[in-house]
Amino acid sequence: MIQDEHVNTIMRALADPTRRKVYERIATTEEITVAELTRGSGVTQGAVSQHLKTLRLAGLVAERPEGRNVYYRAEPQGLAPLAGWMSHYDAFWRERFGKIRDILKEIDT
Amino acid sequence: MTDTAAANTGSQTRSIVVEEVFPHAPELVWKVLTDGELITRVLMPPSGFAPVPGTQFTFRTKPAGRWDGTIQCQVLEVVPCEKLVYSWKGGHADNIGYGSLLDTIVTWSLSPAADGATRLRLEHGGFELPRNETAFTTMSGGWKTVVPRIAPLLDEFD
Repeated sequence: MIQDEHVNTIMRALADPTRRKVYERIATTEEITVAELTRGSGVTQGAVSQHLKTLRLAGLVAERPEGRNVYYRAEPQGLAPLAGWMSHYDAFWRERFGKIRDILKEIDT
Repeated sequence: MTDTAAANTGSQTRSIVVEEVFPHAPELVWKVLTDGELITRVLMPPSGFAPVPGTQFTFRTKPAGRWDGTIQCQVLEVVPCEKLVYSWKGGHADNIGYGSLLDTIVTWSLSPAADGATRLRLEHGGFELPRNETAFTTMSGGWKTVVPRIAPLLDEFD
C-alpha cells in the first residue's frame, strides 16, 4: 500500500534525532533559512541541507526560493498520514473495487 | 464509482463509502463477496469464512509493531444477494497510523440497478478519529504531540 510507505517515509525522516530537531525548529517558525537553521545546530550547513531534503521528500517541509535564499516552512498536513487507518482503507477499498470489476467480467460467461 | 471518505454517522466515528454499479447479476456479485477463493482474490485469503451469522474468521495482513497483522472478523448479518455485514478488528494500541487499534464494521449492500445490473455499496464504518485530531496538523502545534508519541516507535526505522 502506498499509504504505508508514506507513513514509513515520515517515520524514517523523524527517526534521526538531529533531523527531528531541524523539523521541530521549522515547525515553530513561520519560515526559516538553511543558514538560520545551521546556527546553533552543532552540524554543518551541508548536513542541514541533507536533512532538509529528506524532510521535503517525506512531505514534512516545503521550500520557497527567494533571491539567494531558500526559505523552509512546515507543511500543515505533513503529519496527517500518521492520523490512522482511514486513509489506508480509503485507498484499499477503491483498489479492491477494481478487482471486483475484473473478476465479475471474468466469471460472467 | 463514488467515494465518500468523510461520510459520517453523526457520532464520534467516520465511515468510508465506496459504491459502484456493475453490469452483472446480484447472484454473481454475491458470489464474489462470499466465495472463499474469490474473496482471496478481492481482499486476502480468509481463514474460516462462511456466509453464516456468528462465523468467526480472520485475514492476515502486514504486521506492524506489536500487532501480528491478524484481522479478526465475525459475520454479523447475511441476507443472500442483498447484504453481508462483518466486524473487522485488528491493530494494537501502541501503534499509530497503520497498525493502530481498529474496531470497525464492513457492510456490503447489493441492490438491483437498471438492465439487470447490480449496485454494490461498501461501507466501512466505525473509524475513531484520533483522540485529538488537531494533533496531526503541524500548524496548530501538532508536532509537539505527535513527535514525542512516535519517538519510541522510531527506533525500528533506524
